[in-house]
This record gives sequence, C-alpha cells and structure tokens, in this order.
Amino acid sequence: MKPYEWMLKFTPQTEWIEGKGIFLWLAFYVGGLGGGLYLVALYFDNFLGMLISWFIVLVLKGGFHLIYLGHPIRFWRMFFRPQTSWISRGLYFVTLFIALVPLQFLLAYFAPGTKLEVMVKLAALVMAVGMSIYTGLVMNYMVAIQLWNSALLPVLFLLCGLAGGFGLMLGIGHFQGGVDIVAIETGSIILITAIAALIAIYLTSARYVGSAGKQSVAELLRGRVACVFWLGVVLCGIVIPSAISLNSLLGGNTSDAMLLTAIICEIVGGLTLRYALLKSGFYQPLLPITLY
Amino acid sequence: MVIDLQRCAGCYACVLACKQEHFLPPWIFWNRILISEAGKYPTVTKLMYPVLCNHCKEAICVKVCPTGATAKREDGIVEMDADKCVGCRNCLVACPYQQRTYYADDRREYFPGQGFTPLEVMGKKLYPLQKGTVLKCNFCAERVDKGIARNLTPGLDREATPACVIACPCNARYYGDLDDPTSPVSKLIMEKKASQFHPEFGTEPSVYYINR
Repeated sequence: MKPYEWMLKFTPQTEWIEGKGIFLWLAFYVGGLGGGLYLVALYFDNFLGMLISWFIVLVLKGGFHLIYLGHPIRFWRMFFRPQTSWISRGLYFVTLFIALVPLQFLLAYFAPGTKLEVMVKLAALVMAVGMSIYTGLVMNYMVAIQLWNSALLPVLFLLCGLAGGFGLMLGIGHFQGGVDIVAIETGSIILITAIAALIAIYLTSARYVGSAGKQSVAELLRGRVACVFWLGVVLCGIVIPSAISLNSLLGGNTSDAMLLTAIICEIVGGLTLRYALLKSGFYQPLLPITLY
Repeated sequence: MVIDLQRCAGCYACVLACKQEHFLPPWIFWNRILISEAGKYPTVTKLMYPVLCNHCKEAICVKVCPTGATAKREDGIVEMDADKCVGCRNCLVACPYQQRTYYADDRREYFPGQGFTPLEVMGKKLYPLQKGTVLKCNFCAERVDKGIARNLTPGLDREATPACVIACPCNARYYGDLDDPTSPVSKLIMEKKASQFHPEFGTEPSVYYINR
C-alpha cells in the first residue's frame, strides 16, 4: 500500500491483533476467563477454582499485558487516569482483584464468617465482574470502529468469561469432587444459549450502525475471519459444549475425554470470539467523500 | 489550521517538510496526502486531500490515554509526552482519522543495508524519538513556542509557523487562532464556508477544509 492510499478503503484494525497485538488479545481473554472462573468458584465455594482464577489473572493477564506494552516499566503511570480511561479503570479492577483474593483466603482461614471476610469477598466479586466487563468497555469506547460500538459487547464478554469459568469449574469439579456437576452443566447450557442469542443480536444490530459495521459483519460471516468465526466461535464455542452438556444432563455417559473436549472447546470458543471481533474491526474510509 | 483544497496541487511539499523538520523514520508520516478519484470516465476528478492530526477539540485520544501522555494544551494543540507513554496504543486504535503511528523499530533505515544517512544520524541526536511510544503531528509545537517566546505570531511569522504551512508553494495552508474571530483563519472559515473532515466522528477537529 502506498502512503497516499492510506484509509481510502475500509481499513482493518491491526494494532490490537497483529504482531505483538496477539498478547493483548490473550490478555483480554484471560482477564475475562479469570474473572468468570472466580465468580463461578465463589458461587460453588470452591477454593481451588478461586486460586486458579487468581493465578490466571496475576501471571497470565498481567504477563501478557506487560509483554504487549512498549514501555512495561512505566505501567504504574496507567493508574493516573481512571476519570476517563477504561484501561486505567481496568488496571484498578485487576490490581484490587489480585490484592483482595489472597486477603479473602487469609480471612477465610483465620476469621471465617466474619463481616470483614464477607466484605472482602463482595469487593473481590465486584472486581471480578469489573475485570470481565472492562475489556468490552475499552473496545466499546472506540467510536472509530463501528463493530465495537455496542452496549452488548461488555455483556457478551462477561457471559463468555462465565462460560469459560463454568468450563474450567467442570474440570475442577470432576477431578477434585465436591462440586455439583449437574448445576455446572445446567449453568453452562443456559449460558451458551444466551451467548448464542446475544451474538446473533449483536451482529444483526452491528450491520445497521454504519457502512464500516456492515463491512465488519460481512468479514466475520463470509470474509477472511469467517473460518475462525464459524469453526471457533460457533462450532467449538457453542455447538460442541452444548451437545456434550446436553448429553450429560439427559443421562448419557460423559467420559473424561468428552469432558476435556468440552472444556477445551469452551476456551477455544471464547478465545476465537475475541480474536474474530478484534480482527474484523474496520475503520471507515476517509475518502471518497462528496466534494461537489 | 485551514487547508484550501482549491489551491492544493498535491506536490507533497508539506509531507516532506514535516519529515525533515522532525527527522521522521521510514514509513512514519505525520502529514499525508490522500489521493483518490471521483466520477466515471470521461468526467473523472482527482481528489487530493492533505491530512494530518486534527488536534480535535473533543479529542478521543486524550480521553482514552491511561497515563496522560496525550494531553490537550491550552492553545488547543494535542501533544504527546513520550516520557509518559507506555505504548498501549489505545490512542492509536481510538483515532477515527488514524493519524497516529506506533514507533516499533528504531533500527529501520531509509536505505536498508546501507546504514543511517547523515540526516538520520543527526535526527537521532537533535530530535530523538522514543521507541515503543506512539507518535503524531504536534503542529510543530517547538517552533510555535519558540516563536511566541520571541513575540512572533504563529501563522503570520514563518519562524513561529508549522513547517508544512511554510513549505506549501501554493499557500494552501493557513495557521492561526480559531478562538479569535478576527484571526485570518477564522475569517477564512466564515468567508469560504470551510468545513471539518468527517464531523460525524464527533471529535470537533481543529483542521478545516475549503472545498473545491
């Protein structure tokens, strides 16, 4: 592309998905996964689940974000603009989550059932929800990319995070025991159905936001991202986990291999959803415009 | 700034002057000329549209920046503080005009394999750009500030005016105070009914265009 051809066609967003942008994609996903797993583990009062979620956020999300930054040592400066920047607010959610969860564990051991323990749990819950939602709000704030201008996006990311959380919780519950597997699988089915409906509504409404939105949806459904969308999001993220959960709920035998397949497919589904949305974000052309 | 499309010849003088003024590395442009065509043969018109950072009044890049590295000055110039930039590229993705660039590789040469030219070497000393930060047009803030300190008027005195405005051989660019209704740029906007580029983005650009 010549310099004078810049932004003359629908230009795809590349900074947040290509090259080092891969790490931002991963960071966005594992943040939602960690938050979702924490919420599910908190519901089932499962210590291992909460511990794994904390680890995912601390090591994976933190690590991927720092790798992506041009100057990671300056990351502390990102605390200074929570009044307008969702990235700044997200850093608060992540940092407070990382600090509150170990405190919650300590209180659960030394002062179980106290008001303080309950308050810390509640605060960690709020941070986990914030962590799951804020990436959707970061993207939603980008008015330049019409595909992302939807209030449904943060909700979709929250539900995806919860679905991933349910998937991992299924694995934890199956191998560790002491967790209501039927409840997890019922929750999974309901969530996946909601996600499928939400994706359909989201893409339908995105077509009417503008020409760039329409282009983005076309790219997702029929263009260069279509393979990722249909195989990753739809097949792996919705169809296969639903089929396995339904089979299990209807009394069928669920082998360890099928369980592992369901978990991996749910994670792949969440990953590919974010990938597809980041990859198919288009900017409106600056030209041609009517000058006469 | 006002750009008169009736005068622009698409000569790239502004692009090159900006590159030279700031010693910009390869493939980084703070000024561009977009070239397109309108109409069908035989009534085809060539469109030449100089674009640069619009230094928007409601700059979304300022809002999304998590460190305050991008900030709007009192005079309206949206400036980058490279020492504060962490390279998150949120501003880059947010800009609907896509006039920002991420400086990823400081080893890229204009003539690959032949080392840096003397100009590039000089540039790294005189105007060091930080790798890992986002770069964009700053309306030659250094020139403007130095000129104001010497009681010169930006837009009227060459030493206090952005390089792209001075370099234009067609006098297609004008620079001045939009908040002053008696300034030459404000009068031009009113008389020639100059318009903003893509006002539907809602960022209130400070660069106006006089259409052909």
